[in-house]
Amino acid sequence: MHQLKQYSVAETLEKDLGDPLDPNNIMSFKQVVDIDETEEFPHSQIEWLYNWKLQHYYVPAECGGEFTSFEEFVAFVRVLSRRDQTIGIAFTTLFWSFITWMSGSDEQKQKLANYIKNEQGTMCLGYSEREHGSDLVGGDLTAKKVSGGYILNGEKWPINRATISGISYILAKTAPEGGAKCLTLFMVNKRELDPEKYYNLPKILTHGIRASDMSGIGFKDCFVPDSMRLKNEGDGLEIALKGFQITRTLCAAFSLGAADTALRTTLNFASKRIVYGKTVFDLPQPRQTLVDAFLDLLICDCETIGSARGFHVVPEQFSVWASVVKYFVTTQLETMINNVYVVLGSRFYMREEHDWGIFQKVLRDNSIISMFDGSTVVNLHALILQLRPLTKYRSRRKSNTMAEIQGRLETIFSLEKPLPTFTPTELELFGRGIDDPLQGLEIALQQLEDLKQTSDLDEQVLENLLQLGNLVLEELDNHDQLIANSKFEYGHDQSPELFEIAKKYCNLHAAAACLHMWLYNRTILGDFFAKGEWLVLSLHRLLRTIRHLPYCLSEIYVENTAQELLKLYKEDKLFSIVPFQLAQSQSPEDKPYATSGLQLKA
Amino acid sequence: MWLIKQLAEQLSHDPSTIKVSEPLTRYGLDSIDAVTLVGDLEDWLDMKLPDTLFWDYPTIAKASQYLAENFDITGALDNLKAEELTTVVPNNKASENLAENKKGWGGLFGRFK
Repeated sequence: MHQLKQYSVAETLEKDLGDPLDPNNIMSFKQVVDIDETEEFPHSQIEWLYNWKLQHYYVPAECGGEFTSFEEFVAFVRVLSRRDQTIGIAFTTLFWSFITWMSGSDEQKQKLANYIKNEQGTMCLGYSEREHGSDLVGGDLTAKKVSGGYILNGEKWPINRATISGISYILAKTAPEGGAKCLTLFMVNKRELDPEKYYNLPKILTHGIRASDMSGIGFKDCFVPDSMRLKNEGDGLEIALKGFQITRTLCAAFSLGAADTALRTTLNFASKRIVYGKTVFDLPQPRQTLVDAFLDLLICDCETIGSARGFHVVPEQFSVWASVVKYFVTTQLETMINNVYVVLGSRFYMREEHDWGIFQKVLRDNSIISMFDGSTVVNLHALILQLRPLTKYRSRRKSNTMAEIQGRLETIFSLEKPLPTFTPTELELFGRGIDDPLQGLEIALQQLEDLKQTSDLDEQVLENLLQLGNLVLEELDNHDQLIANSKFEYGHDQSPELFEIAKKYCNLHAAAACLHMWLYNRTILGDFFAKGEWLVLSLHRLLRTIRHLPYCLSEIYVENTAQELLKLYKEDKLFSIVPFQLAQSQSPEDKPYATSGLQLKA
Repeated sequence: MWLIKQLAEQLSHDPSTIKVSEPLTRYGLDSIDAVTLVGDLEDWLDMKLPDTLFWDYPTIAKASQYLAENFDITGALDNLKAEELTTVVPNNKASENLAENKKGWGGLFGRFK
């Protein structure tokens, strides 16, 4: 396999964090479970990450940091989250800084970059309020214009890191009469406020991520200077919605990390536990369950890595793509974790047994991911409002449109191709019906046809892929016909049926992403990837939720996939289409970097 | 007043009850719908408009005035009649059906009629 340089930061971080099964390591499963039990914020782990200088990767290169690509970012957030989502999420609230990189003045950007890089600065997002949930325009926190600034009054809740963070992005109402332009966004620096005029709300006790600083913030006649206002008065909602397009896509990295650990710790059990004279892994039903879980990870990888790269190429399409990723990846992996716990048996529920009880913690922590930064319902609703333009655009494609889509798909999905710099100013509130992965499906099918001429592919695999690919197209055509003939309504009273239709759209989107990913990277991601048997199984898995298909297409493909899963597990490699090297499990005496104090970058 | 007619159809209101000086939110349109409505308008006029059009100009009167001052609306309306639907994929059943079932699209797809 080629060494893709965008994965080297993640690999180095992995190596320096060390084997999570070694209790002495700073983010070992033992340590993070202990932290969870105390429910106290993981200050020393966060400090370790700052000393490692991970925060530099949250500041774009053009603002003086090291961030260059979302693909790289997703890989290292995955590394954090496979050890502990609590720490992963706590550190990654830094990513809200993208609001400033996107909409701040040069001065605001410079100040923030310095604060993050040199002062271990961190931030949180104060959008939601106790009484209003996802209804941002309905909020009650007000900002009244006075000479030189604004007076804030009101509370934001619940907010991750509301208490332990220096900067809060606060969405405040500047026009009491309401409407889309009634909100203004402030980058509130607590250090510059009168401490008598703001207060932190108490820690909220939660089901998972128990060691988080889940709290809130309140303001009472609190003066904030004009210099803390982002863009202009009334621009708050637009910035907020575009910011969500960025963070929703990246939430997938939290889920992918958690799912890796859920599967890995289950394999720790299933490959050693003997029942009825065999290991659990060797019994057909658990084996199929674990293979399906592996496929879920590969499918979500294609969707997530595709979107992370897509951000650099087609930012204007992300009102659609971000919703698809945020809904599909988080819920697919939530279900996957629920599926594998059956294989782990009752140990999934125990807080001390089996790998320090990491599974039950993953299960609890991970269940918030599909909810925050826009819930499943919010994302599907956003998609529902765009289904009609998507269908319309698809019906009007011409040959030049297809040529343009093909060019973009190649840059998005070819992992060896360099990416342009991300330009957040090109984000749009609605995508004008354009969605390259699904609208380029016919291109992928033509590429499959063309592969018939090459001899390196198994004919049966190719035949399967063509058949399944054409079923995806058939289902997409059916979808378009359904949408074209349906009555469109505005508002929030959308029918439950439409939510199911939107879910199906996401499913087809993932199938298309898998096809594109394979077609553009067949020769660079190793033999298992190249053979395409996993792709046959993945398309089959996605289509089976939509239409009646035979239970199993090929026992040989399943067996080969099971062998690959076992191989990655034994070699401590990530369960991924890019299976980079994880920290290797060794006995403690063999371990050269066993002390948690070591913070040097390799 | 083409904008009144289109809005009335989109929002299932009688055109005679829509007042040009009322904020669109009065007719059941919330902030995200207002963005989608720009898409419909773009589609109908076949021109790219700012996606926050109805946020910045929240009444029909204000939006119409802005459009008339900044875009060639008359030219766009004249062009509508000449357009035809074509698709890239031959024998695409869904696209054919789609073209046949124009009525299902609602008011703003009127240019295919």
